[in-house]
Amino acid sequence: MCAAETSGAYLEVQNLVKWFGNDRAVDNISFGIPKGSFLTLLGPSGCGKTTTLMSIAGLHSIDGGRIRVGDAIFTSPKEGLFMPPEKRDIGMVFQSYAIWPHMTVAQNVAYPLEIRNIERSEIDDRVAAVLKLVGLTDWANSLATNLSGGQQQRASLARAIVSSPRLLLFDEPLSNLDLKLREHMRVELKRIQNEVGITSIYVTHDQSEALVMSDEIIVMSKGKIEQRGGPVEIYSKPVNEYVSNFIGVANLLKAKVLETSEGGRGTVEVTQDGEKFQVPCLIGPGIKSGSDAVLSVRPENVHAVDDESQGTVTGECTHAIFLGSYVDCRVKWGGFEWKVISHPRNHPRQGDRVHLRFDPEHTLAVQP
Amino acid sequence: MTTETLTPTRERSFFENRVRAAFTQENIITMVVSVIVAAAVIVPLAVLFVSSFRVLDPGGWDTTWGLDNYFLMVTDRIIPKAFVNTLIISSGSTILATLLGVSLAWINARTNCPWRDYLEPYNLIPFFLSPFVGAIAWHNLAEPQTGLLNNWVRDIFGIEGALLNVDNIWGVIWVTGIFFAPLVYLFVVGSLRRMDPSLEDSARTTGAGLVRTTMTVTLPLVMPGILSGAIIVFVTSAGEFGVPFKLSAPYGWETLTTQIFSKAVGDDANHYLGSAMSMVLGIITVLLIWIQQRYIAPRSFTTVTGKGFRPNVLDLGPWKWLAFAYNLLFIAVAVVLPIVCLIIVSLHPVWTGALQPGELTFLNYEKTLFFWREDAIQAATNGIINSLILAFGGASIAMVLALVISYMIHRTKGFGVRLLDFLSVVPIGFPGIVLAMGVLVTYIQTPIYATLWILMLGYITRFFPYGQRNISSIMLAISEELDQSSRMAGASWFTTLRRITIPLLKPGIFAGWILLFIIFLRELSISIILFTTGTETLSVGVYYLTNFENEPLTSALSMAQTVLLLIAIYAFRRVAGREALTA
Repeated sequence: MCAAETSGAYLEVQNLVKWFGNDRAVDNISFGIPKGSFLTLLGPSGCGKTTTLMSIAGLHSIDGGRIRVGDAIFTSPKEGLFMPPEKRDIGMVFQSYAIWPHMTVAQNVAYPLEIRNIERSEIDDRVAAVLKLVGLTDWANSLATNLSGGQQQRASLARAIVSSPRLLLFDEPLSNLDLKLREHMRVELKRIQNEVGITSIYVTHDQSEALVMSDEIIVMSKGKIEQRGGPVEIYSKPVNEYVSNFIGVANLLKAKVLETSEGGRGTVEVTQDGEKFQVPCLIGPGIKSGSDAVLSVRPENVHAVDDESQGTVTGECTHAIFLGSYVDCRVKWGGFEWKVISHPRNHPRQGDRVHLRFDPEHTLAVQP
Repeated sequence: MTTETLTPTRERSFFENRVRAAFTQENIITMVVSVIVAAAVIVPLAVLFVSSFRVLDPGGWDTTWGLDNYFLMVTDRIIPKAFVNTLIISSGSTILATLLGVSLAWINARTNCPWRDYLEPYNLIPFFLSPFVGAIAWHNLAEPQTGLLNNWVRDIFGIEGALLNVDNIWGVIWVTGIFFAPLVYLFVVGSLRRMDPSLEDSARTTGAGLVRTTMTVTLPLVMPGILSGAIIVFVTSAGEFGVPFKLSAPYGWETLTTQIFSKAVGDDANHYLGSAMSMVLGIITVLLIWIQQRYIAPRSFTTVTGKGFRPNVLDLGPWKWLAFAYNLLFIAVAVVLPIVCLIIVSLHPVWTGALQPGELTFLNYEKTLFFWREDAIQAATNGIINSLILAFGGASIAMVLALVISYMIHRTKGFGVRLLDFLSVVPIGFPGIVLAMGVLVTYIQTPIYATLWILMLGYITRFFPYGQRNISSIMLAISEELDQSSRMAGASWFTTLRRITIPLLKPGIFAGWILLFIIFLRELSISIILFTTGTETLSVGVYYLTNFENEPLTSALSMAQTVLLLIAIYAFRRVAGREALTA
């Protein structure tokens, strides 16, 4: 119908804008995802990720842009189009699980099929199959309120996928579970999504959840997209200080780019409290020679060495905490404290003078 | 799901798309209800306002525009006195009800008073009964000549004269005060029960004694509740018609409400002057309610942390029996004595002030209840039937409105929600008699005047906010995601309402329905303005009997009303549980 739909994406969000009062909760973002993939919207609270999800769900109107899935336009204020949520054929898992307390588990799961006027015998079959998939067969006839948090989460997922919707939306579904269960459910959710193969969008503020589950991650902040990429790319090649800081842990220092060369490499100079050093590194996209940048090094890519000639920076180890598989060290250099991860068999002790070496392949200059 | 339903088959214009998007079930129903509620609340008040500036010429045939009605508030022979009397009665009732309500709430929530759990429901009963009937009962208990208590005192102590006399302004304060004490009780007992005990414990650990802790920590924390309760009692007393009509107006103490009544239906009826008086009363009460809602009610949340605490219980030692006796005394004067008196008087053919065991008869009940009898009194028998119709029908319609309005306020974030929120507080600010005056001047020339519909309109407009609050409190507690997940599952707005929202709200809907049923069954001050022959209600029947018949017949119908109310109260407690009313 429209030219935009010829692009390959199954779900397409174009120039989405949503105002809350005088706040631009979502500020002109666009993205598209292929059929069957798992996309995570990641960011702190208030970054617009949930608003984006609710816009796709149709649980509120939008102020600008266009959302399309397959050949159906969900909403497009410019064309005056708004498809009500119940027409969108979406399965959704809510933060509070939203399992109806006045129904049994089976009744909860059967509900979307009853709404679609499917025959009773087929409903029973499909409910049984999906309850088996999520491992709640034995709980089919208990009241939803008698379930534990993790079980409610499974029931909620079963209800979302039972009608084989065109899209599956997750709104921080694991945030109310305790840590152990959360780690278990991550894997479970991913397994079930793989099995049913429904295109999914997952909203979370938990970076490890995003890294574990997603095919692709969109990092958001203040209503805008900061970076989009696969988990490995987002972690190892953050494009700016915000993403470096939000995903994982990084040593971040203000730097100036001295020179850039072919293949995205170059040299930066870091000046801090009168001390300075130069280091070769990877130069992120959009950074020119002579501009300001931020040096970003993950703690596991900082190596404490004994040989002063190999080190770029020398400082004093202020503490070293043994954490089983690794040792978490802090090295004081001027006013800055380096986070360094060392091997338990060979690590600096508190009070040691330490030389730090940076691997140019894992040292990044990113946008401030 | 097929794709045709999802893809428009042809290009539609922007306008066509917008119109289609706007006409959803949700939008249509909520729009219709908003317009109905806005019309029901705003129109009578607007007409009342306009009417108050119309001045009736001395001949009573024509009107001019002017402020004369308002000048009469000051220059009239009776109205200024009525004003002062209303002020005295409201202040006195507020002081009495607050003292009783706070002390009883404290005894029940925070002391080891014996059997306090059993006392609580009885402490609340006066809240549900008719103060008008209470006034009738107390008239028969403490009238100087024929008062039962006065007779007993004369018989036992052999003294002359009368010990008690409630046929005056003090009697009005007495009856209003004891009947409205549960209002203060309800506002205070919740925060006393749910107060974090560590707040008081930490005061005690700093060395403050019990009295000092109570004065510096406990009381200030419950002060917003006390003030809220006091304001509500003041406003309710100022709008109370039945008690001053029975106890003080016949003896020379007119109040604003009895004056409005005489301007609405009396021989010297003047709807425009009545409108002006209603405006003055209404503006005062609305201002007070606004202060309570805006400044006092929000502060009361600070004492409630939401956790389930076991409040500190004070060991009163032997004094606990005094507390127990005090509480029993309250129940005796507010519930037991009035009911016993109604029963005694209602069983006598003629009431002379003395028990006559040989003469007892059920004739009074037959004449007021058995509508098929030849000698049945129409005003009374009509009253029962009409009140039951109004209570069933009115409560049902009001709860439907309340449900839609609560849904809009808490679930829809669209246009007009703030206005609707405001409209569902406004009626609480206006005494029934004021709103009824507005309904009267608005609809007197329409076909609904002189039908039950005008009464139902008045009832629903004045009281739907009570039902709405019952639903809202539950709606706030259940997550919006429960509704949203039904929409995502493919259910329309209406299906979601029917299969998810309403089943979850059932307890609130039931509790609200029974509360409105109770209120409508005893309603007097709206009915007294809007009834005509044939549309009498229960309380109007009682009014008719006490005005034109005798005390035994009055007591019989009062007793019938009281029994109906007690049954409804029992049902309410079964459905709503003990915390349902604590505002």
